[in-house]
Amino acid sequence: MSIKDYRGDVEKCCRCSCCKFIPLQKVKGSKYSYACPSIAKYNFNAYSGGGRLLSMYSMLKGEMDYSEKLKEITYNCNMCGACGVSCNYAMDMQVNEPISEFRVESVKDGQTHPALEKVIEGLRKTNSMVPVKGKRGDWAAGLNLKNAAQEQVDVLFHVGCKTSFDPKMHKLAQATAKILQKAGVNFGIAGDVEVCCGGRAYQMGYEEDARSQAKKNMALIKKAGVKTVVTGCADGYQAFKVLYDKFGVKGDLEVLHISEYIDMLMKEGKLKLTQKVNMTVTYHDPCNLGRKGESYKHWKGVRKPGNRFMFDPPKDYRRGEHGVYQPPRDVLASIPGLTLSEMTRIKEYAWCCGSGGGVSESNPEFAMWTGKERIEEALSTGAEAIVTTCPWCEKNFKEAIMASGSKLKVYDIVELVEKAI
Amino acid sequence: MFLSPEVYKKFEDIVGEENICGDLAIMPSYHSGQIGAVVLPKDTEQVQAIVKLCNRLNIQFTVMSTGFIRAAMPQGCIYLDMRRMNKIIEINEKDMYAVVEPYVTSAELQAELMKRGLNCSIKGSGAQCTAIIRGHGHMDLSTGGDDRNQLGMEWVTPAGDVLKLGALGSTHEWFCGDGPGPSLRGVISGRGSGDALAEGGVITKAAMKLYHWPGPAAFELEGQSPNYNLKEIPPNFMVRYYSFPSVPQMYEAELKIGESEIMFALMGFNVAMLSANISPNMEMELEVIEKLNKEVQGPGFYVIVAANSPEEFEYDQKVLDKIISDTGGKSLAMVEDPKVGALVLIHGVRISVSIRETFRLRPVGGKAYGFQIMGQRDVNIKWIDEAANRKKELIKKGLGADDGGVYFGWSVENSHLGKTEIFFDPSPHPESLDAIIDWQQTTARKALEDHLNPPTHLPLSVVGPEVSNYHIWSKKLDEAFNPNGTTVVLPSLMG
Ligand SMILES: Cc1cc2nc3c(=O)[nH]c(=O)nc-3n(C[C@H](O)[C@H](O)[C@H](O)COP(=O)(O)OP(=O)(O)OC[C@H]3O[C@@H](n4cnc5c(N)ncnc54)[C@H](O)[C@@H]3O)c2cc1C
Repeated sequence: MSIKDYRGDVEKCCRCSCCKFIPLQKVKGSKYSYACPSIAKYNFNAYSGGGRLLSMYSMLKGEMDYSEKLKEITYNCNMCGACGVSCNYAMDMQVNEPISEFRVESVKDGQTHPALEKVIEGLRKTNSMVPVKGKRGDWAAGLNLKNAAQEQVDVLFHVGCKTSFDPKMHKLAQATAKILQKAGVNFGIAGDVEVCCGGRAYQMGYEEDARSQAKKNMALIKKAGVKTVVTGCADGYQAFKVLYDKFGVKGDLEVLHISEYIDMLMKEGKLKLTQKVNMTVTYHDPCNLGRKGESYKHWKGVRKPGNRFMFDPPKDYRRGEHGVYQPPRDVLASIPGLTLSEMTRIKEYAWCCGSGGGVSESNPEFAMWTGKERIEEALSTGAEAIVTTCPWCEKNFKEAIMASGSKLKVYDIVELVEKAI
Repeated sequence: MFLSPEVYKKFEDIVGEENICGDLAIMPSYHSGQIGAVVLPKDTEQVQAIVKLCNRLNIQFTVMSTGFIRAAMPQGCIYLDMRRMNKIIEINEKDMYAVVEPYVTSAELQAELMKRGLNCSIKGSGAQCTAIIRGHGHMDLSTGGDDRNQLGMEWVTPAGDVLKLGALGSTHEWFCGDGPGPSLRGVISGRGSGDALAEGGVITKAAMKLYHWPGPAAFELEGQSPNYNLKEIPPNFMVRYYSFPSVPQMYEAELKIGESEIMFALMGFNVAMLSANISPNMEMELEVIEKLNKEVQGPGFYVIVAANSPEEFEYDQKVLDKIISDTGGKSLAMVEDPKVGALVLIHGVRISVSIRETFRLRPVGGKAYGFQIMGQRDVNIKWIDEAANRKKELIKKGLGADDGGVYFGWSVENSHLGKTEIFFDPSPHPESLDAIIDWQQTTARKALEDHLNPPTHLPLSVVGPEVSNYHIWSKKLDEAFNPNGTTVVLPSLMG
């Protein structure tokens, strides 16, 4: 693909500004009505979803070329996908795809960001998106888990770079293992041979690297002979489920996020949550589990004759409608003593945690600002903790909380489930 | 960059480094690459300082709230993007007005108001647009439209003076647009039919008139985008779409409904616009248009009954039934389905999918061509059939796109006033655009000859002599308020 393939989409932007706000039906007042962190922080139109499309249009028409400012705008986007959801409430056109493709094309054209280059260099050398400290499988020491590369298992638990290499996050993988054991799941891990899913590399614009990671992962899965992958990380979930499908390598692999899997296990009666966790929490939908987590839709066809932007067969747009929204909520609702108090922006129109799109590496201040906005929204619910289902969100929230001096606690859903079993 | 570094620095000193940008990379996202710099003022003082500096340096400026309007800009002009002025300053429940800054959207204001049992007029362009600019929308029957809803106002004139208008001019209250204190309402907002702000300058705060809202504090929605809907229609609410054998019969029904004061909203959507509101995608929209076109007997409108009590609801329904039966109206079965009715209700009240009506099926990159008349309802309804027939002829010849809808319009202020409008999109035929522009000009000239309304699409020098030499007065107003010609007034689609 290239941005040329999205000419019709970018041409279709009518500058209505809906991409800047959550879907209008969901606007509940003057607070928490904004959807896009980038335009909310930087204010100039070019930082909005529509602004990005209009810049591309200008480039496609040959009226504008790359520049330092354009690069700065390009990389100051969390790639959270909220603009696309708001646009697609009313319009039939792709928004997130051309924005993503523009990054890919920028990288191909050498318009890269030094901080992201560094991360990708690391990925190429170490198969990890984060600096490698110790070994990938260190978190599992003493847990006696099966190695999926060597033993026959039903389920592969893909842990992800952040949880594997950040000692403070090890507890998430450990809690997950404990939950799966409790439910009697025949699962394994890839341990030291696990590799990065490539999802974040793709968000940063490095498609070739993402494809290379996809190949490595699918080879490992094939070798292990597993039919189901469970991820503990929303980015990993999106990569295995959506991106690999887009790349044409996913096959019939079943991909589940741990929150979905726990929900399934509970509904099948294999897991019971009995211990009280007396707490009021709010739930943050990670972008890659929610709106960006809905299945990839393969489409092959042609534009219909005439000047309308319609296709044969019709395009079924990914509007964020079918993300994973209910399972984590059902899991939380099953924890005795726990009360869920929802934020204003939830599900397909949730505000991003801030760490996506490489922003936490290229512009930590922007990542922090976005996170702080979410923390403020979480506090407005009266909750004492914010629960998420992605270690990248957790990390960004913890930093934002520390910087703002708030007392809000942060949990991954598996930590609460672990307390309740 | 069109501005010299020295001049740029002067503007930067007013708003701060982060709030000015002259880089070409941001310009396509505004309207043109001609802009000297976009500035983001945070308050009236900054706006005034920018405007004064523009006057001193003889630089033209213009302003946007949410920026739906597109237009070419003079080279090197300053563009004030009002994004940072986004506060609701006051909601006065007792005197029923809300004071807002320009980047408060109608969606935000209305949501705050509904919690308080209040509502405001929202322009048909959608709730994502600013709440402060005058205009017309789906609830005009009960909320009125145009500059009627603008009360006290703070205005930075094109020369850089801060004027407090209406009641604000002599008190600290915002309750009235016409005094006690100077009223420039007609001059600022009402002049001409094509401009949002005929005199330019910058509105920095305005009080908008509020209305009673008998519905829930918020719509409880289920489902995910784009399929939000109500579980059920709230008590004492009803939604219907009625079609009529002819325009005069439809108008008679509108008039009676208006005079009986029973209705919350009456919007004369054609079937295409109705379909856009209830269909989540284009394919379904086209299917529904086809179905509806088979069912309707002619032009029509949707209505929303919103009563305060079961007794009032019963009364409203009875009156409505009588009017509809007296005027030959026929209710669309599809809208009687509560799920479909609920969609019309939430979109009709919150004006949340206007983009679907106006842009989803429109040719890509398409400019909106059309024609509109606003004014006395009986007068502006007169031109529809004739202009629509000429549109249909062109469609038959392949010279215009068939949008399935022909025309639309609605009553304002209980049907004394109203608006009628025709959208007309070009077809792929090479002569289509010329044919449409010719249609537009003919329609405009006819409106002028028949004394229907001062039409848009004709130069002021042609329209002026027909309306008390308005072009001469207009020039005088320009000289008085915009002495240095620094304000650039962008055209708008408002009527
Ligand atoms: C497809 C479409 C449909 C529309 N339908 C309707 C309709 O049904 N009813 C209706 O009334 N209007 C309609 N309009 C016009 C519409 O009212 C305006 O586009 C809308 O209100 C603009 O809101 P905005 O915040 O985007 O204003 P902008 O686009 O930012 O500005 C609109 C105009 O007002 C000026 N302006 C903006 N802010 C200020 C300020 N603070 N001080 C002084 N001047 C200012 C601008 O210079 C410009 O001339 C439509 C427009 C479009 C494109």
